[in-house]
Amino acid sequence: MSKLRFFIALWVAKIAIVALKITRHNGTNFPGVVALKICPQFLKYIGKPERIIAVTGTNGKTTVSNMVIDALSQDGKNVVNNRMGSNINTGIATSLIQNCGVMGKCREDMGLFEIDERSARRVFPYMIPEYLIVTNLSRDSIMRNGHPEYISDILTKYIPQSTKLILNADDMICSTVAPENSRVYFGIERMPGDLTECNNLINDFQICPECHNKLKYEYVRYSHIGKAYCPICGFKAPLYDYAGHDVDLGNMTIGIRGKEADVRYRLLNDSVYNIYNVVSAVALFLEMGYSHRQVQKFFENMSIVGSRYDEMKVGSYTVCRMLAKEKNAFASSRVFDYIAASKGKKEIILMNCCQGDAVHWSENTCWMYDCDFEFLKDDNIENIIVCGPRVKDYRLRLLLAGVPDCKISYTDDEFDTPEKLKLTGNSYIYVLYGTDSIDLGLKVAEKVVKMIRKKGGEGK
Amino acid sequence: MKIEVLFPEICNLYGELGNISYLQKSCADIEVVETGLNDEPIFVSEVPDLIYMGTMTEKSQLLVIEKLNCCKERIVELIEDGANFLVTGNALEVFGKEIKDVDGVTAEGLGIFDITTSRDMMNRYNSLYLGEFSDGLQPDAGMMKIVGFKSQFTHSYWEDGAVQTPLFITERGPGLNPQIKGEGIRVNNFMATYVIGPLLVLNPLLAKHILRMCGAKKIDVAFEEAAMESYEARVREYSNPDTGFYY
Repeated sequence: MSKLRFFIALWVAKIAIVALKITRHNGTNFPGVVALKICPQFLKYIGKPERIIAVTGTNGKTTVSNMVIDALSQDGKNVVNNRMGSNINTGIATSLIQNCGVMGKCREDMGLFEIDERSARRVFPYMIPEYLIVTNLSRDSIMRNGHPEYISDILTKYIPQSTKLILNADDMICSTVAPENSRVYFGIERMPGDLTECNNLINDFQICPECHNKLKYEYVRYSHIGKAYCPICGFKAPLYDYAGHDVDLGNMTIGIRGKEADVRYRLLNDSVYNIYNVVSAVALFLEMGYSHRQVQKFFENMSIVGSRYDEMKVGSYTVCRMLAKEKNAFASSRVFDYIAASKGKKEIILMNCCQGDAVHWSENTCWMYDCDFEFLKDDNIENIIVCGPRVKDYRLRLLLAGVPDCKISYTDDEFDTPEKLKLTGNSYIYVLYGTDSIDLGLKVAEKVVKMIRKKGGEGK
Repeated sequence: MKIEVLFPEICNLYGELGNISYLQKSCADIEVVETGLNDEPIFVSEVPDLIYMGTMTEKSQLLVIEKLNCCKERIVELIEDGANFLVTGNALEVFGKEIKDVDGVTAEGLGIFDITTSRDMMNRYNSLYLGEFSDGLQPDAGMMKIVGFKSQFTHSYWEDGAVQTPLFITERGPGLNPQIKGEGIRVNNFMATYVIGPLLVLNPLLAKHILRMCGAKKIDVAFEEAAMESYEARVREYSNPDTGFYY
């Protein structure tokens, strides 16, 4: 009966794919939604690739997944993946439906799936990855994810026993996931600018798990990311199997010391969190048996997908679009830190109010008080334009962070933000958007570019 | 003025320490003492002007209960003597009788108040909150609107026959649990609520009330104009019947 139900679900979903193609609605999860509705155990019966790699974690999983898919494609592999859909069970089901025949047999040998960390309980009972990268575990949406310890517990409960884990040793919440599983650790050795005391509002691993005394850090990059130890009982963070070291931002390279060699790799972006993403992907490829030379080649031909970060020179200005995940204090703090640390005069259009929440209820703004808006009191930031439904909350938070009122501009409508730019010449204009305002961010950035061009590309 | 913040290294979820930094920014002569999990609380030997504890993880709740059990009698004495407490988020549950998980695991609380907590880690309850608070300190004591959020795995229930002493009266959103209008616990100057925000940043009038309770000479809050503008807009928004209240 279950198998019959599965076939009905599969065929209905296949018909749905054809209907969606005809109506030009590609890229939705609808086929997976339908399939799981008809057959809740659909993922159990659908054919899956022989080798499955999965990526999860709070931040960076999309970027790492894209890197892995790109690299495997360069190696000539056809990889089933959920890049075009969502990272929950329905998105994964959709990608498998698209890549199987009418009897449900998977056409490809390899699969790469980005998995939402909360969806582990709906996916892992039916899918056993050979490797699972956990990029990091940190605070995310308060409503969905609660806190990282909760997510860590879910992963520990549901990750299949035979899956080999590739874990971030510099993240003690991540590195303690599923302690019974086979694992390797990646991390980055001390970097210039590292601290020994956390200066972020979020720090979710402050006490020793053994004796509950305050932990110390040999070095800390941000929040709980760094090398922790307990001065009282001797508890220590795990050693690196894949150690990033000697980051050279001038030449955009990093050394990665693996089990057999120490080789330099090209970096795709100069932000610390993206450097971690590169190290995690290199660790995976080396674990899979690729040589350092092969992996180096992969990275030579790779770039970070445009919806996360891109920049454009327009006259004396550089317009940068950056994803600052809505309701995600940890991710937004990284972006604010990055901007504050970047050289030059800056203006920021901050448009990461949650668009969906504004329609259905009202955004829970607790995240603002976990988020380091304090980075934005940087002297080189000339103007911060806030917009959207939570303008008044942003203003109060920025004032409490020490940003003077004269540097804060407001407008309800995102499309009015370019008019508020000061455009004093030779500066960086950052357009920060959320995951549900990627298109909006693109359009606003385009409007900024047009406006600068209209003004001749120079300062006022 | 001295504020003791209990266990900030673990009781710091959801921007809760923003409550204390807001009071600090509002009143220059506030001294904040952070008591770590392995320190002796200063309330054991003196009476701080305010004792604060915020939201924590479920594992941290066990550590906090274990720690505070050693000075439970002193906490009861302080509450009876009218010491000022502000307890937000799931820190409230620590003071109840027990926290019962749907999977059967039960943790005993301090047992100071007659409430029990029911927890379901697979269901998170998210809502906005609109309620009222009576400021009994002022001669013209009136009701002030309270706004905020709820985001939790738990609900708490008064035991049968217990005298319910809520902190807020709910207008929209759940009370201590969805079946009752009373939200939080108020006994003398002990104030506990599930409402997060941070509560005092979102409710500058309540922040003023707390400053008054603590004996502050000047009852102004930081960036009062911006805070009031944000507060009033939120009260209007949450009072609008068209605003969805549940996530």
